[in-house]
Amino acid sequence: MYVGSEVLRAEPVGPDVVRYVLKLERRLGSSPGQFVMVWVPRVGEVALSVAREEGREIHLLVARKGRVTGFMHDNVREGWRLYVRGPLGRGFAVAKGTALLVGGGVGVAPLIHLCAALKGAGARVVAAIGLRSADYRALAEDLASCADEAHVATEDGSLGIRGTAVDVAEALLSERHFDFVYVCGKEAMMRQVIELAMARGVRVEASLERLVKCGIGVCGACVLEPLGLRVCADGPAFDGDTLTRAGDFGRWWHDAAGRRVPLQP
Amino acid sequence: MVRLVDLRVELAGLELRNPVVVASGPLGVSLGLMKRAEEAGAAAITLKTATLRPREGHPNPVVYELPYGLLNSMGLPNPGAEEMGRLISEAKAVMRVPLIASVAAQSPREAEEVAERLRGADALELNASCPHVRGLGAELMDDPQLVADIVSALRSFGRPVFVKLSAHGDWIGVASRALGAGASGLVAINTLKAMAIDVRAKCPVLGGVYGGLSGPAIHPVAVRVVYELHREFPDVPIIGVGGVETWVEAAELILAGATAVGVATALRRGFHVIGEIVEGLRAYVAGEGLASIRELVGAAHR
Repeated sequence: MYVGSEVLRAEPVGPDVVRYVLKLERRLGSSPGQFVMVWVPRVGEVALSVAREEGREIHLLVARKGRVTGFMHDNVREGWRLYVRGPLGRGFAVAKGTALLVGGGVGVAPLIHLCAALKGAGARVVAAIGLRSADYRALAEDLASCADEAHVATEDGSLGIRGTAVDVAEALLSERHFDFVYVCGKEAMMRQVIELAMARGVRVEASLERLVKCGIGVCGACVLEPLGLRVCADGPAFDGDTLTRAGDFGRWWHDAAGRRVPLQP
Repeated sequence: MVRLVDLRVELAGLELRNPVVVASGPLGVSLGLMKRAEEAGAAAITLKTATLRPREGHPNPVVYELPYGLLNSMGLPNPGAEEMGRLISEAKAVMRVPLIASVAAQSPREAEEVAERLRGADALELNASCPHVRGLGAELMDDPQLVADIVSALRSFGRPVFVKLSAHGDWIGVASRALGAGASGLVAINTLKAMAIDVRAKCPVLGGVYGGLSGPAIHPVAVRVVYELHREFPDVPIIGVGGVETWVEAAELILAGATAVGVATALRRGFHVIGEIVEGLRAYVAGEGLASIRELVGAAHR
């Protein structure tokens, strides 16, 4: 059963990323790290992290990836109707103390929602954001303005330091104490951040993106081996310890037919 | 005094530690998920249906949740028989419960080629009932002779062969021909042909348009089909599937004539439901003052 929604705004926040602000027919009630399945009638359905929820409004950051996201970029504007089911999956554990949020590109999405919750719980939040270039400046804005302190790195050095989110996270973790690290981005990047945090005994959670079909844990499409973790139902947020035991993480994924294939970098 | 209850059943030569098996579908193509189901108490695992060549399945949306059940239109995604065979070999090395491989094919020759690659399984299930893929599954229900020919072909592998029936069509007739051709047991029922239209979008919801309805809504249909199959073929082992959410629905199917029951849609609530169903059946059998659950198979007919 879908909840109908109207697109209030569709704003480009980078060369191939659009922020959609949807007004739902009823409140979603998501916790940070949870996701929704967004159905575009006659086109398809995709899994997207909830980047922000306020009243009946939600934010989604959508990168152009395939058929459905491509259609959204090319056609879905203000006034369009989209259909949402969720909230789905298990989100982040919201901890107190000082948190480091590490986001790569569109991976900042669930961290924006998380940042608001952490601040609400009285935590201090430091953000480390990695972008391809200054063209993605707007993508970082929401997280940067929510956090108490934000550090940006770009691959070409056109904004902030030249480097990656991992570089920023490594520097921050070496300099000071954090109670919790949260990361979302490409799996190879998340692996590195998890290693950095665990080496220092800091609790860490990561939010994963996989090919999600059913979204409710009954089809097995998004499984992580060898533990048999369903990203859509057991995750998408997992703790670092679990992920270090999930050999597929950062290395293998399952395609639409369930074939195990190397993860694209 | 705690009465010891025997939950073990024998199903066409397969020794099951209890009557609860995982039906085909929910575990995808994952050894990790199969192990989780085994640890949760499942007595046997049915694998996702394999076809000769890999299939990507239908585009999203592939499921639609309803208050009374679940519609799905996965479209038989699978990595193909070759890869499924490798998974079975891997699984046989680490799992103790029997593995039932599910086969979809359009001809005896194709079924043989699939089964050849699934050799490691303890039993085969012919999927004659998937309602949302053209040319495979439920269309077999219209051709009892073809079902019989495929069963004969699968029999050559020397493993028990089950036929999974649809509640659509002449299932008694199809079962009769399949058993005549050497099938060792029946599985009933698969999902019911169904679809959903969103009233605001005014179009079908599922990417594959048609889907199969499972869950609580279809349970009474499953009870009726199992009841009649058992009446017609009292000596044939049946795996009853359809809307088993708790031990109550499991017990109902057993009383109707099922030796074992399959769970699938119920797993959306977590693997723990398997253990809950098993323990519920144990308490039920004890409460009835019986020593073995086998005494309840088909008891509603007596």
